[in-house]
Amino acid sequence: MTHNHIPVQDALPEHTDKKERKLIGDRGDYFLNRIVGETEENISACYQCERCTNACPVCHYMDIKPHQVIRYIQMGWREELMHSSTIWVCLSCEMCTTYCPNEVGVAETINHLRNMAVHSSIMPKERHLAVFHQTFMEELLRYGRVNELWLMNAFNLKPKILKDKIRMGTLKEEILLGLTLLKKGRLNLLPRKSKAIKEIKKVYRMRRGDIV
Amino acid sequence: MKLSYYPGCSLEGMAGDYARSITAVFKHLGIDLIELKDWTCCGSTAAHSLSEIMSVVLPARNLAIAEELGLDIICPCAMCFNRLRFSQEMVKKKIFDIPWNVTGDIQVHDMTRFLSEPEIITRIKKQVVRPLSKLKVVCYYGCQMVRLPRIAGDIDYENPQTMDKLLEAVGAQVIDWSYKSTCCGASIGIARKDIQGSLTGRILHKARQTGANAIIVSCPLCQSNLDIIQKNISGRAMPVFYFTELLHLAFEEKSADKRFRTHFTSPVPLLREKGLLP
Repeated sequence: MTHNHIPVQDALPEHTDKKERKLIGDRGDYFLNRIVGETEENISACYQCERCTNACPVCHYMDIKPHQVIRYIQMGWREELMHSSTIWVCLSCEMCTTYCPNEVGVAETINHLRNMAVHSSIMPKERHLAVFHQTFMEELLRYGRVNELWLMNAFNLKPKILKDKIRMGTLKEEILLGLTLLKKGRLNLLPRKSKAIKEIKKVYRMRRGDIV
Repeated sequence: MKLSYYPGCSLEGMAGDYARSITAVFKHLGIDLIELKDWTCCGSTAAHSLSEIMSVVLPARNLAIAEELGLDIICPCAMCFNRLRFSQEMVKKKIFDIPWNVTGDIQVHDMTRFLSEPEIITRIKKQVVRPLSKLKVVCYYGCQMVRLPRIAGDIDYENPQTMDKLLEAVGAQVIDWSYKSTCCGASIGIARKDIQGSLTGRILHKARQTGANAIIVSCPLCQSNLDIIQKNISGRAMPVFYFTELLHLAFEEKSADKRFRTHFTSPVPLLREKGLLP
């Protein structure tokens, strides 16, 4: 009997079909090449030694571990990465990049994936964090500098945030903390505006693709 | 000696006491700090999370102002320092089209690293009138000041020494420990209190195990995070100081009770116990 090449799909027993099996390299190198081109990181140099995952302080909270992120990129599994909590949980503390023996910029790559997720239409797994970053940028573009009190107020006024906080019961604690901070003189009531705000706004509009 | 000074947003708000102590310390050392005119926010975590281009363009504007002045920048905030250095590297690479007139030739100093140069250490030693010899401290550097080594330019990224040197210069007993540059998770506290709590709790636990009386930091976010979270943690709370607050305390004989009123964990009982405050 000759050993013919058996296609992978045919070799699977039927009861494993519950979850669609992913094939390796079925999409070619498109995603890998794109990431390498955009970040200039040598993703292909990763040999899965897991040093990044061992260095990561928040890896228990991630669904895809840092070394797996690199592997997923090699496989071209974009959707999984975009839907993961990893890209939002990452603190950008750069432990992984510092200790990588092959100098793969793991933190930079995760940050780039976060950028991609923001511009995709996929709902971020850690919605609060994504909304907070967005609010921060909006405050920055309004005044040029960020005032903590105004930032938190703007954040709470974003859709669903206040409701979530009430449901989780953290709102009362937060208000009390805010009052204590005010009493101790650690918050400014009014934001300080930088005079260069027009320049900043113009640059931001250009980057966003506005014509004016 | 003259330097341009980029305080950053935190020093106008949450870390007002840091800003005040910096002014006092630099006055004692005879170094002029010239605040950058109309500086803007460096973008912090939000800018690089949402758009890599903005994280280069925003700090580049501050670099451009400093280049016009022709003075090296000094940054007290670890995050600002990291973002400015990153932006400078990217400006030098000339990948992005930057709308400001900037070349990236100017030096960006981290405040602790600048002050711990041998020449300035001797100046600091001369200024000390109240040695903090009874105080046992651990120095906590955080992540943004030392990493990435390529960006932050620190050789001792695993065991940073800058603040240790400074505190030794004013006579404090500095204890070595292994959590100097572990991330405290402050940036995620807004959405995931559980992660923040576990990371900060571990740092506080280890700091207490070393037998230190206080934690010394240089990052505004680390200070507020380590300080505020202690109101929910049982056991004796440890005061969290900015390193300049202790330098200021060592430089002046005046009573300084009021300086520490912004702290959540009041350091006044500790300092009285050690005979540093009347």
